[in-house]
Amino acid sequence: MATFDSLFPGMLLDSASRFAQDHVSTEVTGDPVRELGWTATIVPEEAGGVGASLADLASIVEGVASYGLHLPVVEACGVVPVLLQAAAPDVAKRWLEAVAEGSAQIAPLTALSASLDEATVQAKHLDIGFELDGEVLGADASLPASHYLVPAQLEGDLALFLVDAERIGAPAASYRTMEGARGADLKLAKLSVPEGACIARGAAARDSLVAADNVALLLNGADTVAALSALIQHTLAFLKERKQFGVQLSTFQVLRHRCAEMYLKYMGAKGLVIHCFHEHEAGAADLRRTLRLAKVSLAEAARFCAEAAIQSHGGMGMSEEVLATRLAQRLLGSEFRYGDRLAHVARLLAPQATAAEGRNVSNLTGSAR
Amino acid sequence: MSIDYAAFRRELEEFARKACPPEIRAVVAAGQKVTKREYQAWQKICNAKGWGAPSWPKEAGGTGWDIKQRLIFEEVMAESDCPPLYHHGLGHIGPVIIRFGTTEQKARLLPRILDGSDWYCQGYSEPGSGSDLASLQTSARREGDEYVINGQKIWTSHAHEANMIYMLVRTSKEPKKQDGISLLVVPMDTQGITVRPIKSIDGWHHLNEVFFDEVRVRADNLLGEEGKGWTCAKYLLERERLPPANVARLELVRRQVTRLVDEAAAAAGARRDFSTLRHKLLLCEADVKGARVLMANATDDMIHQRPLGVQPSVIKMICGECAQRLTTIALDAVGPQAAQRFLADAGEDVAEATWIQNYMFTRSRTIAGGTAEVQRNVVANELFGA
Repeated sequence: MATFDSLFPGMLLDSASRFAQDHVSTEVTGDPVRELGWTATIVPEEAGGVGASLADLASIVEGVASYGLHLPVVEACGVVPVLLQAAAPDVAKRWLEAVAEGSAQIAPLTALSASLDEATVQAKHLDIGFELDGEVLGADASLPASHYLVPAQLEGDLALFLVDAERIGAPAASYRTMEGARGADLKLAKLSVPEGACIARGAAARDSLVAADNVALLLNGADTVAALSALIQHTLAFLKERKQFGVQLSTFQVLRHRCAEMYLKYMGAKGLVIHCFHEHEAGAADLRRTLRLAKVSLAEAARFCAEAAIQSHGGMGMSEEVLATRLAQRLLGSEFRYGDRLAHVARLLAPQATAAEGRNVSNLTGSAR
Repeated sequence: MSIDYAAFRRELEEFARKACPPEIRAVVAAGQKVTKREYQAWQKICNAKGWGAPSWPKEAGGTGWDIKQRLIFEEVMAESDCPPLYHHGLGHIGPVIIRFGTTEQKARLLPRILDGSDWYCQGYSEPGSGSDLASLQTSARREGDEYVINGQKIWTSHAHEANMIYMLVRTSKEPKKQDGISLLVVPMDTQGITVRPIKSIDGWHHLNEVFFDEVRVRADNLLGEEGKGWTCAKYLLERERLPPANVARLELVRRQVTRLVDEAAAAAGARRDFSTLRHKLLLCEADVKGARVLMANATDDMIHQRPLGVQPSVIKMICGECAQRLTTIALDAVGPQAAQRFLADAGEDVAEATWIQNYMFTRSRTIAGGTAEVQRNVVANELFGA
């Protein structure tokens, strides 16, 4: 029997699913990500967090994605805590505590479409403090932010700044993203920030941005698999329910084969994402390469299934009122987060990338958790 | 007298260059959605020149052009970034009126299509009756010299801006569901018609549900015989499946996407690898060349009243899927920026996002007008003889 087992089952998945189900057809108001305490998930216990694993955070991502709900869980609960740990221990602890208890609403000021280490902001060291200059196109703006974490180019290397949102000001433009979330363009025009705003630079900043990007790619993968699972289940239910030419659509061989193909893609994607979590847990030397490979492969699977689901729903598939259509949009939107397939292929095929990103044999055994 | 096709092409090129307003050409060149405003303006301009209906016979107000002239017209207009002529009136219901309409109906309805006064939408699909068109339930009962319509249509493109609808209705219940169907043309401002928008995945508003509650329409709006609407519908569908597959437009899109890929590749430098997209573009170029010949042959058959067979289905699939591949390439080229900046709150266009909208919209090319699955069944039935 074909199964749609969850990647990371458990209470966190159940509660996130319930929340998403309750809000699937209503606009989310307030700041549920912080109100529900999800930002504390991977924050270490000594900093007031839950100290849970990345797999636990993936449970929440999975629950939210299953109902097509758009919340920046990856950014607020995954990327931010990892980036903050690049700071000096006392600074990191203070801000992680604020994140865990929800007193600070920190968001990454990065283009959702790009890898986190592709900083578009330039930083210049002044006599007192720094000056930030640049533009970030298409940042997530779904939730209110009290502070932004801003990666920037500083003297030929990377640096990480923590800046009051008030200093940065209102977006230059705001948008609806293709899957219905909120996006914004933010401009930093010769913005002066104090010395202490730079919380990491050089290797510390670089490593933390790569680590956060890895987390983002992993969670993005979990999101994709969860959306695929829900998408296929909704498509199957639709084909079983609807009739055309006097018979159930699910009896048409061409539609059956397409669904079977979707299921194969989903299962392949699921296996790949589990493998990526194993590699992350094991600290594999070729993790970066594996994650890039996964992003390219998941993009293919997601695109195929999204298009197949729209086609299988016929005219209904063109309407946003249908949950399967919104899930298809989400899958397409996820493709373009943290680097699209063309960007990752470029890195994978670049001669120097192969050597730099390693090519070790992966661990193929064990469960995801 | 033989036609000087080269001179004809030059005449068209000059007309397109001088007569089509730059603001309309800019919309087409950018791949943006062509709205009623542009369609209507361009229709009036072409009609004033006597070119309002390139595919209609002269006696109906058309140009009477031969097949080659019509293809040249399509190519030149596409090459010059002029919009297509709006298909629902000219390409769909117009030929049906010419073929099945009375003298009075031709005189009443055709000139208003030609000068752009009447803007039609198509009332075919119903909830539960998409590709299985014959299962439609919307009814029309005859009362004196009127029909009274009740029911619902769905996926009705442009119903919110059309002033006329041509629609299939059930006028009697027959054992064979294709029987008892009639074709009516109905003014959209008739009492009892309600239009409800459907929010579609491309972010544009073009789809609607249309509800009919005791809608009364004069009986002389019946096209063809009562109960024989299926014949008209089939005649119309054959023609519907060809114009959207317009090869000249496909070539226009191919050139637009090629330019887009070049620009995106130049901007990205070594950060993104475009070799796969360029490979796919080459295959599309080949597809368009092949489709051009198929389209010319089918149009020739249509003009000479030869049976079209499975050609409309074949061309619809080839062109529809090619259009999907082209907009998919465009999606890949612009996706990272445009996916996060899909629709601007401020209301202004997000140039790159237009290509995501086009990608989304083009999903309908294998759904509307008979799904790709239905078209493949048509071809398979022909191949297997059942």
